[in-house]
Amino acid sequence: MILEALEREGVEYIFGYPGGANLPIYQHLHEHPKLKHILVRHEQGAAHMADGYARACGKPGVVFATSGPGALNLVTGLATAYMDSVPMIAITGQVASTQVGRDAFQETDVIGATSSVTKHSYLVTHISQLPRVIHEAFHIATTGRPGPVLIDICKDVQQADAERITPERLEIPGYQLNGHVDLDRAREAARALAGAERPVILAGHGVLLSRAEPELRTFAEKAGAPVGTTLLGIGAFPVNHPLSLHMTGFMGTGWNLKAVQNADVLMMVGMRVDDRVTARLADFAPKVKTFIHIDIDGSEMGKNVRPHIELVADARNALEAMTPHVSALHEGRGRWLSQIDAWREEHPLKYTHSNGRLQPQDVLIDMYRRCHNDAIVVADVGQNQIWAALWWNYDRPGMFLNSGGSGTMGFALPAAIGAKFGRPDKAVWCVAGEGGFVMTAQELSVAVEHQLDVKIVLLNNFSLGMVRQFQDDFYGGVRSQSDLTHMPDFVKLSDAYGMPAIRVDKFEEIGPALDAAEKTKGPFLIDFRIDPEANVYPIVPLGKSLNDFWEAPN
Amino acid sequence: MIETTPPQAPARPAPGSAEDLAVRVRVLSVLVDDGSNTLSKVSGLIRRRGFHVRSISVGPSRHPGRSRMTLTVDAGHAETDQVRKQLERLVEVIEIEDVTGQLVHSRELVVAKVRSSEVAGLLSRGAKVLDSGPDGTTVEFAGEGKDVGEFIDELLHHGVLDVARSGPVVMRKTA
Repeated sequence: MILEALEREGVEYIFGYPGGANLPIYQHLHEHPKLKHILVRHEQGAAHMADGYARACGKPGVVFATSGPGALNLVTGLATAYMDSVPMIAITGQVASTQVGRDAFQETDVIGATSSVTKHSYLVTHISQLPRVIHEAFHIATTGRPGPVLIDICKDVQQADAERITPERLEIPGYQLNGHVDLDRAREAARALAGAERPVILAGHGVLLSRAEPELRTFAEKAGAPVGTTLLGIGAFPVNHPLSLHMTGFMGTGWNLKAVQNADVLMMVGMRVDDRVTARLADFAPKVKTFIHIDIDGSEMGKNVRPHIELVADARNALEAMTPHVSALHEGRGRWLSQIDAWREEHPLKYTHSNGRLQPQDVLIDMYRRCHNDAIVVADVGQNQIWAALWWNYDRPGMFLNSGGSGTMGFALPAAIGAKFGRPDKAVWCVAGEGGFVMTAQELSVAVEHQLDVKIVLLNNFSLGMVRQFQDDFYGGVRSQSDLTHMPDFVKLSDAYGMPAIRVDKFEEIGPALDAAEKTKGPFLIDFRIDPEANVYPIVPLGKSLNDFWEAPN
Repeated sequence: MIETTPPQAPARPAPGSAEDLAVRVRVLSVLVDDGSNTLSKVSGLIRRRGFHVRSISVGPSRHPGRSRMTLTVDAGHAETDQVRKQLERLVEVIEIEDVTGQLVHSRELVVAKVRSSEVAGLLSRGAKVLDSGPDGTTVEFAGEGKDVGEFIDELLHHGVLDVARSGPVVMRKTA
């Protein structure tokens, strides 16, 4: 009955791992050829694959795991999806309902362990609840602000016989969607922004989730307002657009931070305004007279920054409602845009490449030159993530995936595998540091088993680079436990998994290595041994304001 | 022009002062789904958002399958309206009303056992005797928080053996 329900919900892939408490489901899997099951090597990998799948194709990712350790191994993956509002359904086996609470073999209170990292969760103790629960779960996971929903199903329920029951009409009194846009406020917001002397728009993941990129672009062009994105909002506005401010936040571009800190009206759309965006909150956007905040989740209003005009609405609906009300622009607008251009000249993105060592930016620039935006880049967490965010001119949504909110190391490889299942038509590049890569490297088996065209770009700096950079700059220069001295030979490791790989030490070898990766069918790994001293810039020192960003040394 | 909310909440009074608590503490009347997981979801959310439950009362509501909770929550360092907004996100929460500072009937219940059999001072405040015997007298009293506080002060003169006290249950005065 569970599998039938999944078919009814249009599920194509399940990323899972069998075990004692979900064997009754697996027993019948072969009777449902429409459901393609991907056997992972660790449940965390399953959660990240489902996450990458969902981010890449927009459909909810589905995960199976057994009780106890199986379900607990999902927790990090659920948290990653929850922080970044990714739709996911996790179906976990639970011990028989008569055994619950007796500390049975592989029993864990999974609902208790996952409540804080799921949008909603269900414990199913009777077969009669199942059709409603599964139908509700998909609805809740995919609507409003999306997120993971967990269904914990007792083993005896999995084995129970039931007539095929079509789910009843959805009726969830505690789950109301914010459908309509307050038109008066939309007009007020549009006029405030258009009439501003120094407006700035910041766009977050919510713009991508509501597919509001065209509406954002139309609005921004009409209102003559520059647009920056958050790390998760990358792709919401083309980086090459004249009004683009590129990425904001504590590792954002200099001209973005200058614009934010000097803006008089700041519109934040589809974002949480977290500490990585504001840096020191008391000094965030100090000249702003009117904050406008648009988000589908009302709890984001005033959580960190209290808006003057708030619109609790879907980003696309809100922007659509606002655009017609943009009329007279402030006379000082031209001056503001020239000022931003001057800042762009004054504070360009740059990096050091005078020491003869392989620089990560050189690798990314060559990759971008080859595929432009016809590829999905899935980054891990750390320096590799920020380099991949800044050195690739994303011009459309869904081309850059990363764990922004939760910052989960080990995300990239399984998420890239999931993304490839979701978008087989796109080239998929996995960009990772060697530290995060080895956290989930066992999933190489999945890439090899399915001969997935996932190209792994390892930016190997023999250390936990971001930790090392923080220690150097903010923790007294004490390099504590950030050197990774005993790591595998990644070429041999790939060989052991049955996939080709090469090592690159020199600038001249970048091109031929990428050629080889592109020409090879199936997975391919390039171990780029980069400058171990390469750093991420710009960066705002910890605890400082956005005004205090450091740039790359000349 | 629509009136807009102020940019930042007004400066907070000294931490722990009466004014500070008056700002931070919210009284919420919450209608919830009567599921086995509801209480732990509500209390878990309050904890992880940095809030603190000062009192909680739960009982059946007039709707079958739904309970009425009266929560008194200290918002701690968070913006105070976050308490309601975060609770609203729970699927188990159906309806929520912030009744802080509203005209409400608020009642707390005290059941106390005192050594003395001379309880006229308690009865004059409106207490009711539940039983009495050689070991002492058990009384009940219901009233607003302030009255309950005064009643408990009075109890101390009677040799308190045991006290059980509920959190407040509130209802808005004539809607």
